Amino acid sequence: MKVKLWGTRGSIPSPGPETIRYGGNTSCVGVTLSDGSMLALDAGTGIRNLGLALAAEPARLHILLTHLHLDHIQGLVFFAPAFQPQTEIVIWGPASPETSLRDRIARYISAPLSPVEVRELPCDVSFRHCPQAEWEIGPARIRAASVAHRGPTLGYRIDDAGSSLAYIPDHEPALGADLDTLEEEWISGLELAREATLLLHDGQYTDAEYPDHLGWGHSSLSHAISFARRAAAKRTLLFHHDPMHTDAQLDELGHEARRRWQELGGEPGGIDLAEERAEHELPTPAAVAS
Amino acid sequence: MVSSVTQKPLELILARNLMSALSTPAFLVDEGGVLVFYNEAAGALLGKRFEELGTVGPDQWGSLFGPFGEDGEPIPYDELPLVVAVRNGRPAHADLEISSADGTRHQVEASAFPILTAHGSRGAIAVFWPAGAENGRAA
Repeated sequence: MKVKLWGTRGSIPSPGPETIRYGGNTSCVGVTLSDGSMLALDAGTGIRNLGLALAAEPARLHILLTHLHLDHIQGLVFFAPAFQPQTEIVIWGPASPETSLRDRIARYISAPLSPVEVRELPCDVSFRHCPQAEWEIGPARIRAASVAHRGPTLGYRIDDAGSSLAYIPDHEPALGADLDTLEEEWISGLELAREATLLLHDGQYTDAEYPDHLGWGHSSLSHAISFARRAAAKRTLLFHHDPMHTDAQLDELGHEARRRWQELGGEPGGIDLAEERAEHELPTPAAVAS
Repeated sequence: MVSSVTQKPLELILARNLMSALSTPAFLVDEGGVLVFYNEAAGALLGKRFEELGTVGPDQWGSLFGPFGEDGEPIPYDELPLVVAVRNGRPAHADLEISSADGTRHQVEASAFPILTAHGSRGAIAVFWPAGAENGRAA
């Protein structure tokens, strides 16, 4: 699996000279599977660049949405393949007792918020609620599970060719819970992340910022570190950077994360910050062994 | 490789987190009726912390603390509010007498409601309210 981060920012796009390195686009991750097919995780503003980068229009593309907050769907109407009639796009997302995934997304892709309606998209687009059981897309096994955030929200795990990617960009597992002592089965999202080759996890707040954002659905640095340790993820990238955090502040946050990770016995390189446009090739077991 | 430990549904995780912060005695069962948690306030009422007891199967917890009706007779398992809530998917209420670990009897009002989600039932929650307690001053 190859993973490219097209948007790592949380909440709202934050372009500018102070966010150049970590990026200002909101959540979107491109995943190239072992057979060359591609998935997109979330459709924040980063998906616009993903669409532009596709050398040839894919015949079929799956977009897996964690939830429908604007920073995770805002790029949908600027995704070039959506305007290609030969492209089939399957959009997966959380079920809701209220209404269908299509109708919920159409609240955004409709007037007056959008110049086009869902029915006007030239591509062949369909919407599916994620099943509770594992399912397959190409060579990958996909698993979705509800995680602690505000509103119906999923985390994903993708297993392909012996490596695994866990994607939980918006997550507050420590809300009302002590992650260091709680039994594993009671920790939100842990099963998705367990021993993942790469974990992309919410790390929006510093520890000092978190008390003023309790219940907002995101993690502090300490919570993200605790979660990654409990999950025994091979490598963790902190994701969903706060829009107020500059590159300089994120450098400091990354330094602190790496220091604390190693003080707790973690391997060097086990934790870092997600950077927009960074590419990560997940090693297969054979590659690890060599 | 994913662990064989089965993750609890998020709705139960959030319910437990909330219950842990409450001073109202509260009990949580999963969709199969297994008692998977009760909070410190409930433990004080029963005279035994949940950590001492652990999870209890659906046919066992109903008799652990001897819920009795107003007539002093044991309440049939199927009529316990928590059982009604998880089996029938509707709220239920009853006046009960329970026996704590040291034999002390407590009169309580028990209210239970199901945890229903887009994917169906996840379980049920029951809260116990000491009979005759003032509004908002039960615990």
